[in-house]
Amino acid sequence: MAVNLKRSSGEDSDGGKTSRRKMLGWLTGAGLFGSAALSAVSNFVFIKPRATYGQPQRFSVGKPEDFPEGTRAILASRGICIVRDGARLAAISTTCTHLGCTVGSADTGFACPCHGSRFDQDGNVTGGPAPRPLPWFQITLAPNGEIEVDKDIEIAPGSYLTL
Amino acid sequence: MSRPTAPKTSFLATLMDIPRNVWSSIFRNPLPSNDLERSATSFTNFFLHIHPVKVHKNSLRPAYTFGLGLISFFLFVILIVSGILLMFYYVPSTTQAYDRMLDLRGSVAFGTLLRNMHRWAAHGMVAVVFLHLCRVFLTGSYKKPREFNWVVGVILFLLTLFMSFTGYLLPWDQLAFWAITVGTAIAGYAPVIGKDIQFLLMGGTSVGQEALLRFYVLHVAVLPAILTLMIAIHFWRIRKDGGLSRPEDADPKVTLEPMETSSAPKASVLEPKKVYGFQGLVRGPLTKVGQIPDNTVFSWPNLFLAELFTFVVTLSAILILSLLFNAPLEEPVNALHPPNPAKAPWYFLGLQEMVSYSAFWGGIGVPGIFVLLLLGTPYLDRGPKGVGKWFSRDRLLANTIFITFVVANIIFVIIGTFFRGANWAFVTPW
Repeated sequence: MAVNLKRSSGEDSDGGKTSRRKMLGWLTGAGLFGSAALSAVSNFVFIKPRATYGQPQRFSVGKPEDFPEGTRAILASRGICIVRDGARLAAISTTCTHLGCTVGSADTGFACPCHGSRFDQDGNVTGGPAPRPLPWFQITLAPNGEIEVDKDIEIAPGSYLTL
Repeated sequence: MSRPTAPKTSFLATLMDIPRNVWSSIFRNPLPSNDLERSATSFTNFFLHIHPVKVHKNSLRPAYTFGLGLISFFLFVILIVSGILLMFYYVPSTTQAYDRMLDLRGSVAFGTLLRNMHRWAAHGMVAVVFLHLCRVFLTGSYKKPREFNWVVGVILFLLTLFMSFTGYLLPWDQLAFWAITVGTAIAGYAPVIGKDIQFLLMGGTSVGQEALLRFYVLHVAVLPAILTLMIAIHFWRIRKDGGLSRPEDADPKVTLEPMETSSAPKASVLEPKKVYGFQGLVRGPLTKVGQIPDNTVFSWPNLFLAELFTFVVTLSAILILSLLFNAPLEEPVNALHPPNPAKAPWYFLGLQEMVSYSAFWGGIGVPGIFVLLLLGTPYLDRGPKGVGKWFSRDRLLANTIFITFVVANIIFVIIGTFFRGANWAFVTPW
C-alpha cells in the first residue's frame, strides 16, 4: 500500500487528514477482525472430519434362502429390517426418523421406545412425533446370489425386489 | 503485632525468627483488630481482593439472595476438583470407558465417592444456577446498569447445561448413549446449520468413538475454560455495576446543596453543577462521608463468614448426598437396543416431553424463543422500578411471563419423569 502521508498533510485540510486516518484505521480493524474471524472458522474446518470411521453403507445381508416366506428380520447391527413378502424382498430402515433411536418390532409394525413414534408394517407413521415414514433402501441381487443393501440410496416405499 | 525489640544479629536469632518471618512475608496483615486492618484484609489478599472493603447490608440478607450465586460457584469448584481427580482414571474409549466406571467403583480408593460427588454436584449446579437465574429475574436485578451481566449469566446457564450434557456421555452406558443420540438429533433440527452442528458434535453419522472423544475434550477442556472466563467476567461486573442490586430506598438520596455564596447569585451558580464523588469513574452511589446513615458493613468478618458458612454447607450437602446415594450406572452401551423408555437426565425431560410432540418446536423452537426472551429481557423491560425486591408489583407483567415459562417447564419435567412409560406412553405412577 503506497500511502503518501506527506503530500496529504501538505495539501488536505484537517478534515481530509482525519478521513484518511479514519479509513486506514478502519482497514486495519477490518483486517485484524477479518483474520480473527477466518481463524475461528478454520477451527470448524479443522474439527469437521474428512473421513469417518462408521460402518459401510453398502453391504451384503446373505442369500434369499436365509429369509423364508413371511420373514420380518430386524438386522439390528445394520439398522434395517429385511421383509420377505412372497417372492418379494425389501429393506426398511429401523432408525426412527424423529430423533434417531432404534425402533423395535411391534404387533402393528414398528414402535420407537424414545418418544413413542409408531409405524405400520411398511414404515408409514401411524402415531407419535415422527415427521416422515421409515425410509426404504435400495436392495439388489448381486451376481454371486447374495442380497445387497445400499443405505445411501433411498427408494420409494413399496418398491420391492422381485426374485 | 510488631513489637519493638532490640535488633539481634546473632545467627541463632535469625534462625529462630524464620517461621515468624516466613509467615509475615506471606500474610501481610495480622488478623484485623481495627477498621483500617479490616479494610487492608480485603485488598492485600489475592483471594479476598475480589471483594469490596465494605458491603451493603442488603447484600447480606440471606432471604434476598439465598446465596444461590455463591453456591453455584462452590459447586463448580467441587466439580473441578473431583473432575480432575476422576481424569486420572478415565479413558475416553468406547472399549474402556465403561470398564473404567466399574474400576472406579471396585478398585479405586474413594472412586465411588468422587464419582458420586461429581454427579450430584453436577445435578446440583444445574438446579442452583437455574434458581439463581430465577432469583435475579424475580428481584428485577437485570435492570440498568446490570443488563450485560444478566446476559453473561444466561450464557453461563446455557454453558452449565452443555457441560452437563457433554459429561453425560462419558460413562458410556445405555442412558448416556441414547440420551446423546436423542440430544444430537434435536440439534439436527435447527434450521440451516443443524445438520452441520450434529455432524461436528458426533464427528460422524452416529454416536461412536469419535463422538465420545469429542464430548470428552469439550467436557474437560473447552467448556471449563470458557465457563471459567465467563465466571470471571460475571464476578468482575458485579463490582463494576455497583454490587448486588438493592431497592432504591436502601440508599438515602444524597442531596447536594449549592454552596453558600456571599455575593449575589450569578448566572453560573444557578446552572446545575457537575458533581463527582470520590469514585467518580465507577457507576454507583456517591461516596458518603459522614452525612447520612451508613448502610454498609465491613466485608471482614461479615461477608467472609457468610461465604465460609455457605461453602461449608454446600460441601457438606454434597458429601452427605454422595455417602447416601450412589450415582446410577446402567448397562454398557448396546447400540442396537435402546432401553424402553429411553429417558434423558431430569433437567432435559421437559425438553424430551416437548420433543415428543414436535421435534422442531419442542427441541428448537420453544427453547430458542425462551432463551432469546431471556437474553433480551433487560433490553425490553427498561422501566427503572421494582429493582431489588422479590415479586415487585411494578414488574407484574415480566414476572408473570417468566413464572409461566418456568412452571410450564416444571410441569413437562414432572410428566416426563413420572408419567411416561414404555414407548413413551402415558402411564400413571401409582
